[in-house]
Amino acid sequence: MVMNSDSLSQTSGQPELILNPIERPKVTQELSENVILTTVDDLYNWARLSSLWPMLYGTACCFIEFAALIGSRFDFDRFGLVPRSTPRQADLIITAGTITMKMAPALVRLYEQMPDPKYVIAMGACTITGGMFSTDSPTAVRGVDKLIPVDVYLPGCPPRPEAIIDAIIKLRKKISNESIQERGELRQTHRYYSTTHSMQAVDPILTGAYLQSATRDAPPRELMEAMGLPVPPALSAAEKEANRRV
Amino acid sequence: MSEQESSAITPEAGSALAEAGKTSKWLTQNGFDHEFVGLDASGIEILKVDREFLVPFATALYAYGFNCLQCQGGYDDGPGAELVSFYHLIKVSDNADRPEEVRIKVFLPRQDPRVPSLYWIWKSADWQERETYDMYGIVYEGHPNLKRILMPEDWVGWPLRKDYVSPDFYELQDAY
Repeated sequence: MVMNSDSLSQTSGQPELILNPIERPKVTQELSENVILTTVDDLYNWARLSSLWPMLYGTACCFIEFAALIGSRFDFDRFGLVPRSTPRQADLIITAGTITMKMAPALVRLYEQMPDPKYVIAMGACTITGGMFSTDSPTAVRGVDKLIPVDVYLPGCPPRPEAIIDAIIKLRKKISNESIQERGELRQTHRYYSTTHSMQAVDPILTGAYLQSATRDAPPRELMEAMGLPVPPALSAAEKEANRRV
Repeated sequence: MSEQESSAITPEAGSALAEAGKTSKWLTQNGFDHEFVGLDASGIEILKVDREFLVPFATALYAYGFNCLQCQGGYDDGPGAELVSFYHLIKVSDNADRPEEVRIKVFLPRQDPRVPSLYWIWKSADWQERETYDMYGIVYEGHPNLKRILMPEDWVGWPLRKDYVSPDFYELQDAY
């Protein structure tokens, strides 16, 4: 840092007033204070790591902590993180919560819809190893890295918001080390396990139209017969009352 | 099975001299066969019913005033043992103070776990019975839309049965 000779003389004399100066501040004319030396890599990485837009993705209790981070107390907007509700605008996905076998295709699809370069933080024990579901669950995916590549593993059950900030800072460090020259090598070729299959897509059976189905209007004949069993005399009075209530 | 509830003491050693509750006595007086199992932890009577009589039994309880099915579910009584479908009924009214409750249990053979659906008496049985079907494979006859609700629709097996073995999917293998 180059110090001006007149500022030096001022510090030796009376202190310089910094707050609310009367004059407009002067733009320094020294060349050394007006030149920034950097590389394209650093500039590019600095721009990228300063606006990591995470996707609003939460499947369990980890998202409660993540939602606290969005709020004003922890305030992750100061890191340039703006939550996005669509994967097409997001750079980062924080898998907050357990991923089940049924959720896995949706997660992979969301990840694939995000534009490159994209980053993944595996948040919480469930998305790292399966967590407390790793022993006996028939559905919980044991580690989200079996589905998508993970950049930062964030342990905890669930991690506190400060821990998420720590993970984001570590991810920023990782991004700041990347180089455009290595971009071709950084691209991941084998992203998740896949195998060739001969399965065929079928129409979904759960369409929501089931509420209008005819089977909902009346019980089947056998059940109506079963429900029409002779009613004992003590019941008929009570049933009449029930009918009146209906 | 239809022991004299008026004698107020059940002969089984298992139910440990428990007196039949109010609802159980009323049902016995009106000729609804059931077995009084005892009281649960909250002091609510548990009734065991044959599946053939479940629908008239439940209709009678509905007429008696149990207008709300507050919980329905199932459990596996053990490897090779019976599957159980249970129903928690409650009388809901305005300004209710400790309303009357009752539990019903239906024991079903593992080889043939069929039970009539109670959807037509309490509509809240809809998703509950679907979940019990999904987890235990109990078939609710007469249910309008008996399909898997939690597991993927092409899943094979009933995950919460005691003899269920998890498939060796890549996603379900242990992480290192």
